[in-house]
Amino acid sequence: MTVGAHHPTILLVDGNEQSQETFGTFFRGRGWDYEIVPNSRALAGALERGSYDIIIADVEMAGPDTTKTLRDILHKNPYQAIIAVSPSTNYDEALKIFRSGATDLLARPVDFSWLERVIQQVAFSRRNDNRERATYQFVTREEVELRFSSSDLAHLDAISLPIVNRLVAEGALSHNDALKLRLAVQEAVLNGLEHGNLELDSRWKEEFGSDGADKFSSIRRERLADPFYARRYVTVRLCLADNRFEVVVKDQGSGFLNDRGISEQGGVDSLSCSGRGLALMSSAVDEVRFGSNGSEVTMVKWLDAGKTKEAYGS
Amino acid sequence: MEFPTQIVGDKGYIRITSDLDTETAGEALRSAFNEVYDQGKRTIVLDLSGAQIINSYGIGKVLMCYKRLKAENGVLMVKPLDGFVKETFELLMLDKLLPVDES
Repeated sequence: MTVGAHHPTILLVDGNEQSQETFGTFFRGRGWDYEIVPNSRALAGALERGSYDIIIADVEMAGPDTTKTLRDILHKNPYQAIIAVSPSTNYDEALKIFRSGATDLLARPVDFSWLERVIQQVAFSRRNDNRERATYQFVTREEVELRFSSSDLAHLDAISLPIVNRLVAEGALSHNDALKLRLAVQEAVLNGLEHGNLELDSRWKEEFGSDGADKFSSIRRERLADPFYARRYVTVRLCLADNRFEVVVKDQGSGFLNDRGISEQGGVDSLSCSGRGLALMSSAVDEVRFGSNGSEVTMVKWLDAGKTKEAYGS
Repeated sequence: MEFPTQIVGDKGYIRITSDLDTETAGEALRSAFNEVYDQGKRTIVLDLSGAQIINSYGIGKVLMCYKRLKAENGVLMVKPLDGFVKETFELLMLDKLLPVDES
């Protein structure tokens, strides 16, 4: 195992000048970057100025209680690697040091070939941890915002949901669930564009003119040509947080719920020309919530946590 | 987009050849329906086997057809359904409303 091209940065906390010189010679011989401080107060100052891959700390360093010092370091940076160096490695002492959060423990006199091995292992482990944390942060928070205008009404069947597509490709979501999700978003966007932004009343679908055309379609055409309505847009925010996938669809209307006869309760009247979109949304996700009098709808789908992790290899 | 129609005896048939989830597809259904309806047929059968997806827009158009026929004591039927379309019909209880044409 080798550290490779990346040299670890090391902070040595040791009040003994001879020991400082020995460690310094060792670090320089391997081309590692290091800094030496004599006590816990100087340690705090060094950590204020910068960060280090590894802290090597003499447990007999001058200053406040060593275990408290180690805990303070880890409180500020839970991922800090600390190698403790102690003149005594009896069981109780070792237990106390490890309980303080030390990554490893070396006994004096220091076996430098062993120290090199420990540093290489810790540096290697830290880098892997950092990569995992970067991946985890990516997985736990991914957000995309899409925007739709009235001109998109004819193309809503082509809505593409970036996060959903990837979840399917990686096996975290089935094709059938993805299809339902896409249709749910499509329904919400359609609702937002027609009932929200164009302020069309669903009941107009039941009113027909002498030419057989329904009032809904006629007024829809008029409003699509009216900049006051047509310039409004709908935003769709997709957010994946751990295994919780949330979609928030928001329009710029005054709200399409209740005042226009659509029930939030999701009861489906088979014969009604409206209201089915909400039922389709409810069947695709685990939660549907409305806000701003219906101008905002939030849909939540819980993904299988195991499959999500598997898909991301974490 | 046009959906093919066929008259067989006293029934009119409309074959849906695309997903029923867009305005274009909805208008194609309306047009095909009018064509058969204007020939006096009051029993009309929708063959949805060419549609993998149907959304609320498509369902709305199907129900418009249903209501126009019902107003004249006619019947809107469907060929046996499967997949997502069948699932959606069952979810919205349309399977109770539209009889299946097994012929």
